Amino acid sequence: MSKFQRFLLKRLAISVLLTLVAVSVIFVVLRLLPGSPFEALVTSGNLNQEQIDEIRAMYGLDQSIWKQYINYLGSLLTFQFGYSILRSQPVWEVLEPRLINSLILLVPALVTTAILSSVLGMYAGWNRGSRLEKASIVSTTLLRSTPVFITAIFFIIVFAYNLEIVPALGMRSIRATPDGYLETFVSLDFLHHYLLPFTVAVLYYSGDFLLLARNGVVEKRGSEFLKLHRAKGLTEMEQLARAGRNSMLPILTYFTLRLGMIFQGLILLEVVFSWPGIGRELVLAIQQQDYPLVQAAVFIMALAVIIANLAADVLYAYFDPTVSTNGGGSA
Amino acid sequence: MSTETKPEAELYKRADALWTTVRDQFAFLRQDPMAFAGMLVVAAFVFLGLFGPYLALHDPIEHTVRGDGGSVLRLTAPSADALFGTTAYGKDVLSQFLAGARPTLIVGLFGGLGTGALGFTVGVVSGYYGGWVDELLMRLTDLTFSLPFMPMALLLLTFMTPNIWLITAIIATFLWKMPARVVRSEVLSVRERTFVRSARASGASNLRTMLYHVAPNVLPIGFLYTAYGVAWAIAAQASLAFLGFGDPTMTSWGRMLRQVFASGNMRVAWWWVLPPAIGIAAITTSVFLIGRAYEEVINPEIQTDQ
Amino acid sequence: MTLLNVENLKVTYATDDETVHAVNDVSFSIDEGVNYGLAGESGSGKSTVAEALLGLLPGNGTVERGTIEFNGTDLTSLSEAERRDVLWEDIAYIPQSAMDSLDPVMSTGDQIAQAIHTHRNVTDAKARDRVRELFEIVGLDPDRIDNYPHEFSGGMRQRVTIAMALALEPDLIIADEPTTGLDVIVQDKIIDKILEIQERMDSSLLLITHEIGVIAETCDDLSILYGGKVMEQGSVDNVLVNPTNPYTMGLKNSFPEIDENEDPVAIPGSPPNLNREPTACVFEDRCPFATDECGESHPDLVDLPNRNHRSACHRVKEAAQLRRDADEPETWNIPDDGDADSDRGEVILETDALEKHYEQSQPLLSKLRGEDPDYVKAVDGVSLSVRRSEVLGVAGESGCGKSTLGETMALLEDPTGGDFMFDGEPYEYYRDGNLQEFRRKVQIIFQDPFDSLNPRQTVRKLVGEPLTIHDYRTDEKERAIVETLEKVGLTPAEKFLDQYPHELSGGQRQRVAVAKALVLDPDFLICDEPASMLDVSLKVNLLNLLRGLADAEDIGIVYISHDLASLMQVSDRLAIMYLGRVIEEGDVDRIASQPRHPYTSSLLSAAPEKDPTADRTRVLLEGEPPDPVDLPSGCAFAPRCPKAQGSCWEAEPAIDEIGDETHRAACYFPKGEEGLNASDASAVDETKFPESANTDSVGD
Repeated sequence: MSKFQRFLLKRLAISVLLTLVAVSVIFVVLRLLPGSPFEALVTSGNLNQEQIDEIRAMYGLDQSIWKQYINYLGSLLTFQFGYSILRSQPVWEVLEPRLINSLILLVPALVTTAILSSVLGMYAGWNRGSRLEKASIVSTTLLRSTPVFITAIFFIIVFAYNLEIVPALGMRSIRATPDGYLETFVSLDFLHHYLLPFTVAVLYYSGDFLLLARNGVVEKRGSEFLKLHRAKGLTEMEQLARAGRNSMLPILTYFTLRLGMIFQGLILLEVVFSWPGIGRELVLAIQQQDYPLVQAAVFIMALAVIIANLAADVLYAYFDPTVSTNGGGSA
Repeated sequence: MSTETKPEAELYKRADALWTTVRDQFAFLRQDPMAFAGMLVVAAFVFLGLFGPYLALHDPIEHTVRGDGGSVLRLTAPSADALFGTTAYGKDVLSQFLAGARPTLIVGLFGGLGTGALGFTVGVVSGYYGGWVDELLMRLTDLTFSLPFMPMALLLLTFMTPNIWLITAIIATFLWKMPARVVRSEVLSVRERTFVRSARASGASNLRTMLYHVAPNVLPIGFLYTAYGVAWAIAAQASLAFLGFGDPTMTSWGRMLRQVFASGNMRVAWWWVLPPAIGIAAITTSVFLIGRAYEEVINPEIQTDQ
Repeated sequence: MTLLNVENLKVTYATDDETVHAVNDVSFSIDEGVNYGLAGESGSGKSTVAEALLGLLPGNGTVERGTIEFNGTDLTSLSEAERRDVLWEDIAYIPQSAMDSLDPVMSTGDQIAQAIHTHRNVTDAKARDRVRELFEIVGLDPDRIDNYPHEFSGGMRQRVTIAMALALEPDLIIADEPTTGLDVIVQDKIIDKILEIQERMDSSLLLITHEIGVIAETCDDLSILYGGKVMEQGSVDNVLVNPTNPYTMGLKNSFPEIDENEDPVAIPGSPPNLNREPTACVFEDRCPFATDECGESHPDLVDLPNRNHRSACHRVKEAAQLRRDADEPETWNIPDDGDADSDRGEVILETDALEKHYEQSQPLLSKLRGEDPDYVKAVDGVSLSVRRSEVLGVAGESGCGKSTLGETMALLEDPTGGDFMFDGEPYEYYRDGNLQEFRRKVQIIFQDPFDSLNPRQTVRKLVGEPLTIHDYRTDEKERAIVETLEKVGLTPAEKFLDQYPHELSGGQRQRVAVAKALVLDPDFLICDEPASMLDVSLKVNLLNLLRGLADAEDIGIVYISHDLASLMQVSDRLAIMYLGRVIEEGDVDRIASQPRHPYTSSLLSAAPEKDPTADRTRVLLEGEPPDPVDLPSGCAFAPRCPKAQGSCWEAEPAIDEIGDETHRAACYFPKGEEGLNASDASAVDETKFPESANTDSVGD
C-alpha cells in the first residue's frame, strides 16, 4: 500500500466518523434537548390521545430512544428522509429540485469568481502598492465583509427597482410553467432572473479568492526561485505566471472548501431573492416546524462540507509535489 | 544602590512600555489611510452603541410619530418631524437607528472576544501539546466546520427564546474554529523555533513554555482573528435578526431590515432601508480593513520588500 | 580583453526611515577567462553588487551612479527587454541558496529547458536532449530530469542550478555563495565541478563568498569588500599572501585552519552602520592602526608599485610593519591567554553504546501482523566521555546524527538504548524525578542566534528566566545577570539589560544565549553549531570565549559542528561521526596529523585553505551518505570507502578496532603512519573510478 493510499484511507475513516458524529448531534438537538422540536410537535396543538399516538407512531416516537436513533441513522444514510409535514410529499421529492436550483445558481458563480478574482488578485499582488491593488482590496473587502443580504438588498434597489433592468424576485416569472429541468433553465426568462443573484454571489466571494491569490503572489515575489527565473530572462508576465502557479494550491483547496459550504453560506441570498433553493426551503421549514425536512436539509449541508473537506485534503496531497503524505508519524 | 528603583518610577516605566507596545501595534494606522478611516468608523460606532439609546428622541418601539392633525405618519420620507422618515408602522427611523447600534455592538464585541479567546486557547493548546490532545481538538473543529452554522443557529433559536447573550454564545460556539486553526498552525511553527527548545532545555515547565514563549509570539495573529471575529459576529447577528431570529425585545439594525423586507416596502422606503444597511456594511467593512492593514504588518511572509 | 568593467558603482536601499548605502563606489574589472573573487562578511555589499550586475535588485534598491560595462555595453543603460536578452545568454547566475532557488512546482528539467526556450528557438526534443547532456556534465543522472526539486538533496540541487547556468554557455557566470550551507565534502565537490566545467567552457567566473579559503583555491583575482567599499584588490597571490590593508589582515588571521598552530585572532567590534554615506574610513572604528587621518576621509584605492595589487588604506606604506603587528592578539586588544593547557578534571559525562532510534510510522496492517517497524538509527551506539575543563568536539556532515546526539546528551530526547552517566548518576536517576537537577547542571546552546532568543523578552528577562525556573540566586538576581553578561563579554551589562533581541547583532545575540546557559553556573555545556551562522570574526570570538570558559570555569563542553577548522581550534579531543556512529576519536593533534579512518581523511582534505600558495590534494568522495533506515550490514562507510574490502561488508568494526586511549578508530584498514599522500590517492583513482577525474591538485 502506498503512502498516498494510506493517507487516503485515514482521511476517509475520519470523514465517516465525522459524518456519524455530526448526524448524532443533529439527532440530539432535534429530539433529546428539553423542549426540542419533535417534543413540541406532539405537545403543541389540541390533539387527543389517539391523534398523538398516531403522530408518534408515524415518526417512530413511540419506540425507545436507541431504536429511534438506529432508525434515524439508517434512514438518513440511505437517503430515506421520510415525509414532509408541510408539503405532504416525500422529503426527497421536495428537496431534490431545490437542491438543483441552488447548485445551478451557486456552482457557476463560485467557479466564475474563483477564476476571475484569482487572476485579478495575482495581477494586483504583482503590482503591489499600485492603485489597482489598493482599489481592488478595498472594494472586495467591502463586498466580502458586508453581510450578503445587505449587498443583495442594495442591488435589488438599484438594478431591479430603480433601473428596472432585471426582476427582483424568484427564479422564473409567475406565469411560466416549465416542465422539467431543461425547460426551466434554458430560457431567457430564467437568465433574466438569474443575472442579479449570480452577480451578487460572484461579488460576495470575490474577496477571499482575490486576497488569497494576491498574498500568494506577494509572498512569492520576493522568493529565491523567482529571482532565478528573473535572472533567466523571463518576461514580467512569464514570471507572474510562475508566481501564480506557485500560489495555486491554497486557492484550489479553498475553492473546494467553499464549494462544500456553499449551501449554508448563501441561505440569505436565496431568501432575499426568493430563489427556490435548498437554503430558503430550510428557513421556511424551520419557521413552519417541518422537522423531517429540516433534518434532511441540515444533513445534506453537513455531508457536503465533510466531502469537500476530504476532497480538499486529498487534492492538496495529490497536487503538491512536496507535501509528505504519511499523515503524521515519527521523525 | 543604583539598581533599586522607586516603585512609582517603575510603574511609570511599565505604563510607558505598555503604551509604546500599543502605539507600535497601531502604528500601521498612520500609514494606511483606509485603516485610519476604518478606525474612525469604529470609534463612531462604539459611541453610538454606548450612547445611541440616550440620543434617540423617541422610544424606538413604543412611540408613534404623528403629524399635525394627530394622524399616524406612516412611511413618510425624511422631514422635519422625522429626520430619517418613518416606518410602515409610524415609528421614527432615526430613533430606531440610534437605538439599534447597541445590540450590534454587544454581540459584535463579545461574540468577537469570545471567538478570539476560545479559538486562541484551543489553537495554542492543540498546537503546543500535539498528540492526542491535538487530534481531539482538531476533530472537534472539523465537527463545528461540518455542522452548518446558520441552520443550526436557527434551529437552536426556535426552541430557545432568543436573547442577545444566547445569540452571542451561539455565535462564539460556531466561530471559534477559524482562529483555532490559524493559531494552531502558527503555534506549530513557533514550537519548532529554537528559543522554545531552549526554554525546554533550561527546565521550563510546559505551562511556562506555553505561556511565556509560545503564546506571546502568536498573540498578534490572535488579535487579528479577534478583530475578524467581531466583524463575523456582527454579520451573523444581523443575518439572524433579518431572518426573524433576533432578540425580540431589542431594536437592532438587522431587525429593522427584516421589517422593511417583510412588510414589502423596500421598493419605496429607501430611507428605512439605507440607515441600517449602511450602518452594518460600514462597521463590518471597517473592522476588516483594519484587520487587513494589521495583517500586512504582522505577516512576515508578505514583508518581502523590507 | 576586459569582459566586465564596473566603475564607481553605488547602490542604495530605501527603507522606511533611512537610506542604506550598501555599495559605495566599487570598481573592478574581470578579464575574459578569469576567475574573479568578491570576498566580504555579511553586510559588506558583495551580494548587492551581484544583484546590481544582474539587474535583480529588489524594488527598493537603486543604482545611484556608476557604470557596468559588459563587452563594451553599459548594462545600466539598457531597457528591460534588452537586459533580458543579455541575461543568461551572456551572463548566467548560480544563486546562493539552491534549497529555495528552484521552482518547487516545476520539474528540474523543465526549468532548465525554460532557460533554453527563452533565448533560443529550439524544439522541445532538442531542449530535452540538451538538458540530459547538461545533467551528465554536472554529474547528475540524466534519467532524473523529470524529477522535482524536493526529490534532490542540497548538493544535487546546486548541481541543477549549475547545469542551468551552463545551458547557453554564457561568457560570464556569477556565483553568489554557491556552497554556503553545504557540507564540506559536498562543497569541495561543487567547487571542483564549477572549476572543471568553467575551464572547459572557457567562460569567466565571478565568485562571491565569505570564505576566503574558497577564493584562494579557485580565483585569480579578487576584491575584498567591507562596508560597501573595496578595501583591497588585486591578484589572489598578492592580496592573500601579503595583505596591505588592516581589514584583510584581520580577516585572514581570523580564519581558523586545520593544520595551523597559531590561534586565530578575531577582529573585535561589529560592521559599520551604513545609513550615511561614509565620510571616514569604513574600518576606522575597528582598526587598531587608525590615526586622525583615517577619521577624516575614506582612503582611495592606490596602486602598489610593480604588481597587480591595490589597497585602500591611509597607512599603506607601512604595510609590512602593520602586517607583523596584526598577527599579535594584543594589537587587536585581545588578551593573549596563551596556550595554557588546562588540567583536565574527572569524567563528568559518559555514554556507553548510547542509542537513539526513531520508529518509522508503519501501516496498521503490518502492525497487526506484528512486523518489526523500521527504525531511523540517528544515534547508534556512541560511547564517549567528557572530563571537566575539557572540550570534546563532535564533527560530521549534516544528517550524521550529531545534533540528535547533542539533544540526547541533554536529555531533550530520551535515549532508546545504552548507558548514560552524568555526575556519577545514571540516566534512570534523572528520568525518575531528578530532571530539574539535570536541567540546572547541563545547558545546551543552539545553532541559530537569530532564533534562539524569544523575540518578546528583554535581555534581563531572557538571562533571568533560568534563575526563576530553578529558584537559583533569586535574591540577587540582578547581580547574577550582570555578572554573567560581563563574563560573556557584553560590557557594560547595564546597556544591554533592557534591549530586545532584534536590537542586538548576531554575535551579541549568541553571547546572550551563552549567558543564558551560564547564569546557572552549569557543570556541563553542549554547543550545537553555535557559530555556524556567524561571520568569521564573530565566530572566532565565540570560540575563544568557550575555550576560556572551559579553562576557567571547570566545566565540560561538547562542541558539535560540521566545521573541522573551528573544532580543531576549540577542542581538546575530537570525535568524528558518520551515520550515527563515532568512527574515529582521539586527541585533536593526532587526528589532524594522522587520521586513521578514510572518512576522516576525506573530511580533512575537503577543507579549503586560505593560503593560495598551499597545494592541497583533493580526495573526492563518491556518492552521498545513504538513508539511515536501511543500512548495509558491516561498516556503514563501506559503500563510499575507496579502501573497502570483503571483510568491511561483513561485520561492523568497533570503535576500538585500532589505536589506544588517546586515539582510536573503527576501521579494519586504517591509514598507516605516513598519513595522506598523493600517490595513495591516485592509486585509488585508478582502481575505483577509472574514467572520471576524481582527484586533482589544487593551487598553482
